[in-house]
Amino acid sequence: MNTVVLLKRVPDLVEDLEVDSSGTALDSEHLKLTLNEFDDHALEQALLLKEGGGGEVTAVALDSEDVDKMLFTALAKGADRALKITGTGAVNGTSELAEVFAQALGSVNYDLVLTGVQASDDIDGQLAPTVAAKLSVPCIEVITGVEAGDGSVTVHKEYAGGVLAEFEMTLPGVLGIQAAAQSPRYAPVSKVRQIQDSATLDEVAGAGGDNGKFSIVVMTPPETGEGAQMLESVEELIAVLDSKGVI
Amino acid sequence: MLGPTERIAFLLLVIVCGGLATHGFLRIARIVRLGKAAERTDGLAGRLINALIDVGLQRTIAKARPLVSLAHGFVFFGFSFYILVNVNDLIEAYVDGWTTIGAGTLAGVFNLLSDLFSVLILIGMLSLLVRRFVAKPKTLEFNSNVLLQAKAAGGGVRRDSLIVGVFILIHVGARWLGTAFHLAHNGHGDPWLPTASVVAQGFAGMSPDTLELAMHICWWLAMGLIMVFLPYFPRSKHLHLMIAPLNLALHKSTPHGELDDVIDASAPGAKTLTDLPWPSLLDSYSCIMCNRCQEVCPAHESGTPLSPAALEINKRYWLNANSSSLLAGGESPMLLDFATSSEAVWSCTTCYACVEICPVGNAPMFDLVEMRRSIVFEGNAPDDLAEVLRSLDEKGNSFGQSARRRAKWTRGLDFKIPDARKQPVEYLWFVGDFASYDPQCQEISRTVARILHAAGVDFGILYEGERSAGNDVRRTGEEGLFEALTEQNVETLAACEFERIFTTDPHTFNALKNEYGDGVTVPVEHYTTLLLRLVESEEIQLGDGSRGKATYHDPCFLGRYNGGFDAPRALIEACGTELVEMPRNREQSFCCGAGGGRIWMKDQDGITERPSDNRIREAMSLGAIDYFVVSCPKDLTMYRDAVKSTGNDGKIEVRDIVEFVADAMGLNDEPGDGAEAIPRAGDEAEAGAAPANG
Repeated sequence: MNTVVLLKRVPDLVEDLEVDSSGTALDSEHLKLTLNEFDDHALEQALLLKEGGGGEVTAVALDSEDVDKMLFTALAKGADRALKITGTGAVNGTSELAEVFAQALGSVNYDLVLTGVQASDDIDGQLAPTVAAKLSVPCIEVITGVEAGDGSVTVHKEYAGGVLAEFEMTLPGVLGIQAAAQSPRYAPVSKVRQIQDSATLDEVAGAGGDNGKFSIVVMTPPETGEGAQMLESVEELIAVLDSKGVI
Repeated sequence: MLGPTERIAFLLLVIVCGGLATHGFLRIARIVRLGKAAERTDGLAGRLINALIDVGLQRTIAKARPLVSLAHGFVFFGFSFYILVNVNDLIEAYVDGWTTIGAGTLAGVFNLLSDLFSVLILIGMLSLLVRRFVAKPKTLEFNSNVLLQAKAAGGGVRRDSLIVGVFILIHVGARWLGTAFHLAHNGHGDPWLPTASVVAQGFAGMSPDTLELAMHICWWLAMGLIMVFLPYFPRSKHLHLMIAPLNLALHKSTPHGELDDVIDASAPGAKTLTDLPWPSLLDSYSCIMCNRCQEVCPAHESGTPLSPAALEINKRYWLNANSSSLLAGGESPMLLDFATSSEAVWSCTTCYACVEICPVGNAPMFDLVEMRRSIVFEGNAPDDLAEVLRSLDEKGNSFGQSARRRAKWTRGLDFKIPDARKQPVEYLWFVGDFASYDPQCQEISRTVARILHAAGVDFGILYEGERSAGNDVRRTGEEGLFEALTEQNVETLAACEFERIFTTDPHTFNALKNEYGDGVTVPVEHYTTLLLRLVESEEIQLGDGSRGKATYHDPCFLGRYNGGFDAPRALIEACGTELVEMPRNREQSFCCGAGGGRIWMKDQDGITERPSDNRIREAMSLGAIDYFVVSCPKDLTMYRDAVKSTGNDGKIEVRDIVEFVADAMGLNDEPGDGAEAIPRAGDEAEAGAAPANG
């Protein structure tokens, strides 16, 4: 079974996010990108499937800052091939990104596509189903376990309230991974460096992207309130309520 | 003395047993050569001389267990002299009429020494046997979760000890009794042989023939037994008397704090025995199985499955059982299957205590680092560690925080620390992760900054240009990440102008001092050294006044690794604080449990007591102590936690040394409470240049 993993770099949230002067984008000077942690789980799940039943794993990512290191890391972990999508224009939002990924997958031989169930810029988890729709294949999201079958996969999907369902999905198909069966493995730096010296990244010219249907009107950090006042006693509370004219 | 038949019999015994023993020794040499390359033979003559001096003075043994060391000393010095005794006995056997008894003063002195040493050996050996088999000290037992080869666990070590002990008793006892029979045969005692003369009186009534026979039996029991024992020698713990001096001579000669480089970058570290460098294989044969390393190991003490002793014993037992197949080209099984468990490998704090204490020059800690290198390279680093390594790779710090916030702690200062990347400074302060990011340590870092600022020291920091120095990264086995961090730091440092580096963190200190190679060529010092120098040169003026009673904890990477024992102590006392030592101090200091990446990993299941809790208990046993003084940011957090978790909150305060210095300088005095404000020395150039008191 050949698996493709869609990897996405997202803003590292430990950095202060600032909106640039245009008011419609994050300030790239203070922005540091990092691999979406759910995508890391998707990659881990793909590697586990490969180790369990063979097949190839291909890591796919859009060209961005430090993407090479991320893809070499995927190779160091055990992926067989890394594909970098280059030359796309601005990709606004998940819908456009899904289009770019779907186009790129046209050149890849795959049975199963895995990606993270969500990302900090895709909280509603639209990437997996949108890619599936564009490829006209089935999709299941919030997956915590995958077992390979013959022409199909058996997957565990989580629902709210701790309910777990088991699905069988005919391949090809797309899964949005919530968590791999084990924590994403660590790729030692020396191995990544060795891979960097010996392996190459495949490149494919990006197609799709900016479809003109979406544009960001304004981006702004949440407005902060005036802060809380800590009250020490009931008398203080009464005084505050009194001053507000509540009582 | 011997008859012709006896002489031929003994020669035959020498040839057969000597041959078997030689085969055994050559086999050991061939096994050791299966190990990976290591540079240990530079300056060989000097190495051998130093080792012989250490052995001759019993230096490595005298480091611990005084009574056992004394008993060992009796046996050691006795046996050293016994070489002459054995030679004499051979001559006596083959040269008719040769005897030292009644042969003048020189022979008399020889006799006196042999007589006294015989008794001392017997006393020493009996004491050691009584200790092991009657007193049964706990230190000779292993935690129940320690992986131990079945043969060793089934009493193999005890049996080996018994065989060696009984051999020594018979060999020396028979020689001693033989002399007594000789004296009885002569019909009178000899003042040069006081104890044998006393014993000889007991044989006075025996016939000359019986005494003659007894002398022959004793000769055979003394000399024949050596030959019979020889083939067993290479398999026994007695082997240490030959291998240990060699092992001490071939000990790592680079700084304690400099790990050997990876040998094979495509497969770093050790999965099997023969992946280990050859000195590690020699270690297994050198091991005397005394468990001293285990006794000082913070991991074993806290109930984890790590025993450095068991690691060496397992290697030894496996090699003794499988040397033929290994020499025939077979592979050793995975070290993790027979030498030590994966959990044990990750329990090591790399505190160096096991290497420091080992009387025969073994270094089990380095084996553990080699195993870690392999485990990490295979992608099997423990999850909690992996998360921190990822952060170190992406952000350059172990806290998972933004690299840009590294110098945020400086915002609490009322002056700006110069940016060493933008202006030349005399001292470059390499702050380190903990001192930069940990909120408790940040306060200490600000105190260091205020002290140096007040003293007019020209210093700067690298701000967000600094990365973790990588000391503990390297000790988790992540060599590639260590190299990456090193490269980044060296690149940053290369663009700066400074004369010296000082660090707040002993771990950082160790890496920069010992492991940065050509990347750091200026002197590197710990802040305690710098502060003491400033105090001594009176650039820092300490006020009078007594500041309580304190005990001081030696951080592993400052003390045991780099010999930084005296400056912190001198500094504490200069601040008017009375210093009381804990039983385990200086080289024998007990690790807080944070090193080697342990601080990034959760406690192991089934741990009985954290090392830091154990240490605080030790401090509390000193009686009324006000302060537990540290000079390492990791120690500050570890021990503040431990004071709370051992229920000693409010009874003892964990303080960094700089807090005493700041107090003694009056930096913490509230303005207007009578203390004079300390002017910044740099503000008054003359005052800074010429100390008032000369």
